[in-house]
Amino acid sequence: MKQFKSVKRTYGAFVNAGIQDFIAYKASFFGFFIGEIFMCFVMYFIWKAVYASTGRTDFMGFTMLDMMVYVFLTHISGFLIQTDATFSIASEIKDGSIIMRMIKPVNVDLSFLFFEFGSKIMIITCVFVPVMIGLEIYRYITLGYVAFKITRLLLFIVSISISYLLSFYLNLIFGYLAFYLLNIWGFGVLKEELIKFFSGAVIPIAFFPGVIKKVFGFLPFASLTYTPVMIYMEKYNGIKLIFNLSLQIVWLFAFIAFSSGLWKWAEKRLAVQGG
Amino acid sequence: MICICSEPENQRKFLDRKDGNKLIRFIKLYKIFVAQFLKNLMEYRIDFLTGAVSFLIGQITNILFITIIFSQIPSLAGWKYYEIMFIYGYSLLPKGIDHLLTDNLWSVAYFIVRKGDFDKYLTRPINPLLHVIMEKFQFDALGELITGIVLVIYSAIQLNYVPGAEEVLVILITILFGTLIFTSVKIACCAIAFWIKKSGSILQIFYMSSDFARYPITIYNKGVRFIISYVIPFAFTSYYPAAYLLRGGNGFVCAGKTILISSIVFCISLLIWNRGISAYESAGS
Repeated sequence: MKQFKSVKRTYGAFVNAGIQDFIAYKASFFGFFIGEIFMCFVMYFIWKAVYASTGRTDFMGFTMLDMMVYVFLTHISGFLIQTDATFSIASEIKDGSIIMRMIKPVNVDLSFLFFEFGSKIMIITCVFVPVMIGLEIYRYITLGYVAFKITRLLLFIVSISISYLLSFYLNLIFGYLAFYLLNIWGFGVLKEELIKFFSGAVIPIAFFPGVIKKVFGFLPFASLTYTPVMIYMEKYNGIKLIFNLSLQIVWLFAFIAFSSGLWKWAEKRLAVQGG
Repeated sequence: MICICSEPENQRKFLDRKDGNKLIRFIKLYKIFVAQFLKNLMEYRIDFLTGAVSFLIGQITNILFITIIFSQIPSLAGWKYYEIMFIYGYSLLPKGIDHLLTDNLWSVAYFIVRKGDFDKYLTRPINPLLHVIMEKFQFDALGELITGIVLVIYSAIQLNYVPGAEEVLVILITILFGTLIFTSVKIACCAIAFWIKKSGSILQIFYMSSDFARYPITIYNKGVRFIISYVIPFAFTSYYPAAYLLRGGNGFVCAGKTILISSIVFCISLLIWNRGISAYESAGS
């Protein structure tokens, strides 16, 4: 309890700063949000045409309703686990302001993490909750009964929290790599595209042929958005569910270990000039 | 920064010249800017590669998506696989050319106006809009352009499609004026920054809506079709010309419509831009 209080005192300010930062830049966030919603609707129309062309109600094990839940949930999950860690850490390393974090009695990783919690709180209330309510209403209208299960939502929350941490540490690692790269922006786009592809954001992993599907399922990228979405959609049950959750945790620990090793190594080489 | 430093005597004479052909002057200036930019590029070769490769991978992902869907269905809303690929590839051509040439508009929308740096463009003896556009050459766009060209040629071969003289003319016209549609939408959105300081997110929304135009518009409902045809007319950058080329029709009407629509959008965007410039207030320093 005492420890919790001290954590709250130390990092509460970072959370607050994160909320304020989100409010200050809300316009650019909503720009991206509306853009993503457009993309969801493009997908909606494509899938509608696809289902009309097949004449069947199911496409590789997904019904039209499944597909819609998948598209919207994947995009929303993308927002929940999205993190600016790569860019913030890379730019702080470049301009040397990272030193201000290092001389404070806080953990460098955690100070970034808590700062982002602030914006996540805003995203959950402004985006996640309304979209989920809309999605459930859509499901109810299409199916005629309430498909929503509280246990699935809770499992989803657990899984997406792990995903977020995983994404955070993955981005931290990319941020440290920026030591060697000049085009952080171009590199960021490249990273986003790769993650989008391997995490099933464009094509559900279940649609890939045999071996590729298995390999993609094991990669850490599947643990990012695919696992929580599959859990929510009740596609993962029993042993499969436990296995995939554990896989997420294993990847998370691997990434934490790797990033702290990388940081220790980077710290030694970090040279900040002037003040 | 731009630096026109070689042969200052010559340069000054050249810039002072009020008469003479404006177009020739513009082309001469553009050469100087591009040369300057190429020097920059040689310095950051890895940057250029990362940018272009990332846009290339983004396109490849989308192509895989279409391919996987078509492994299950013979046609989508009456369009065969290679026809869809052709439309998709065609949509990348104007988008890529615009991306290559006018990428600096994004910087204006996001930070140049907000920081008050737009002053620079107003003090130079060049049209500010041309100056903004000339300043940057975005080679990241090659990722889109190369994918587009390869897709169009490859799917045309697969469809046994050989364009005649009339078709070639329509291709050239629609790509040119399709590019103008993209540029106009960007100019208009970017000019909003003169009033509200930062319009990057507005630009983002409008730009992203071009995603609708990558697929045959027959898959959308009437509302969406109307919007991407006549409100934000991205359908004229890809679907309409591609549909004419694949399915036939009146080439004159197709090209004419594209010219008309893009000219209207371009005039509107110039109007907004000019009004915006007079509303521009620099940031205090």
